[in-house]
Amino acid sequence: MSIVSRWIVVSLLLALAVRFAMLHVLEFHSHPRSIATEVFQGLIAGGVLGCFTADVFARIKLTTVNGWITLFGCGLPGNGMLFRAACALIFLGPVNTPQEAMYWIARKSGAGRKLDGRHDYRMHFPPGGLPPNDAFWSLTMGDARNRFVANRIHRYSVSDHSGLVLNADGSVDIYIQNTAPTGHECNWLPAPGGKFILWLRVYVPGAAILDGKYEVPPIVEVNG
Amino acid sequence: MTHIEYKHLLIFGSFMAVGWFLFIFFWPRMMLYVYKRAIHVKGFGDGPIPVNTLYTQRQALFADPLHPPASVPKLATTGVNRDTLITIGWWDLGKGPQILHVPDMAGRYYSVQFTDPSRNTNFAYVGKRTTGTEAGDYLIAGPGWKGAVPQGMTQISSPNNSVLVAGRVFVESESDLPTAYNLAKQIQVVPLIRQPSE
Repeated sequence: MSIVSRWIVVSLLLALAVRFAMLHVLEFHSHPRSIATEVFQGLIAGGVLGCFTADVFARIKLTTVNGWITLFGCGLPGNGMLFRAACALIFLGPVNTPQEAMYWIARKSGAGRKLDGRHDYRMHFPPGGLPPNDAFWSLTMGDARNRFVANRIHRYSVSDHSGLVLNADGSVDIYIQNTAPTGHECNWLPAPGGKFILWLRVYVPGAAILDGKYEVPPIVEVNG
Repeated sequence: MTHIEYKHLLIFGSFMAVGWFLFIFFWPRMMLYVYKRAIHVKGFGDGPIPVNTLYTQRQALFADPLHPPASVPKLATTGVNRDTLITIGWWDLGKGPQILHVPDMAGRYYSVQFTDPSRNTNFAYVGKRTTGTEAGDYLIAGPGWKGAVPQGMTQISSPNNSVLVAGRVFVESESDLPTAYNLAKQIQVVPLIRQPSE
């Protein structure tokens, strides 16, 4: 079957479904309907379905590892129409191609619970497990509405140039919490009192990131 | 059950398919149109940014992101980014190519991203990853432009006369901010052919 005929069949089936829903679920009994009404409502219904399609497509393309979400491949020339729409729906603006920078966002801990400043968290990078790159990486804090979080040491991110202290074995622990961790202030990323999100950015990511082998470590909730 | 007229259903269905296509195809450019308006109408802190120019965000906005100057519009403070100073501009290559000048960044990470606003895809980069950190001049030409590229310049062909240009210059620390800002300000643009003033 050609693309066009498949297109017609699919759109007619969808139209039938949408019209059926309009008649029986939404109870649109505005008969007799004019052609203008059909055109207008068809366009609106199509636009809504388009948004829905792009959203579903974005969700399919998102990869989630250890609570960290990323969408690989935005900004690349040659991306299909649907993928471009999905990218614009997720990032809402111009975004770097993966070779220039990769972005991950976390709203949940590795255990799948919403990040909340009422708890303390740790992020542990094993020895040699920091994000591979040819530029830099950073971990930035945002509140529930993706805004900077006020704190007494004016620190909004930690990074490979923020003076993180390595453990004896070369691993790194980042303390993500509302109050300063005694003795670990250098590795403290101040969190707000309530819900928050984290951004991991890796500029000029290494091969292990580009081929999908690198896994960002989980954010782990700690007790006490 | 309400009688469904098939002619009506066909019309409804066809326009639904059109609406679906319109959303999917035009959504990226609608998003970037928001940026175009923001650049040309509001600017990012010091009034409108004219077409074919570049503007670098103020140091104060980077140094204290919690208290942006009152003149800074919302779009410029959206999101949390404390890695790079942002330089932005919207170019129109319809009247001829533009020349991007970048200073010697002395090994510092930076990038200048060229985005085709009709698709929101990046057709070229100038920067540490792609061209190195030495000073240089790049000729950005629109589709169909045929002319001599001045000596010592690299041509970058844009698929569209409209181009969104986004520069990012790495800031290592607060004490490094003035140096980074000074370098970012030196990322400049001039037209290939200066129009004679009348």
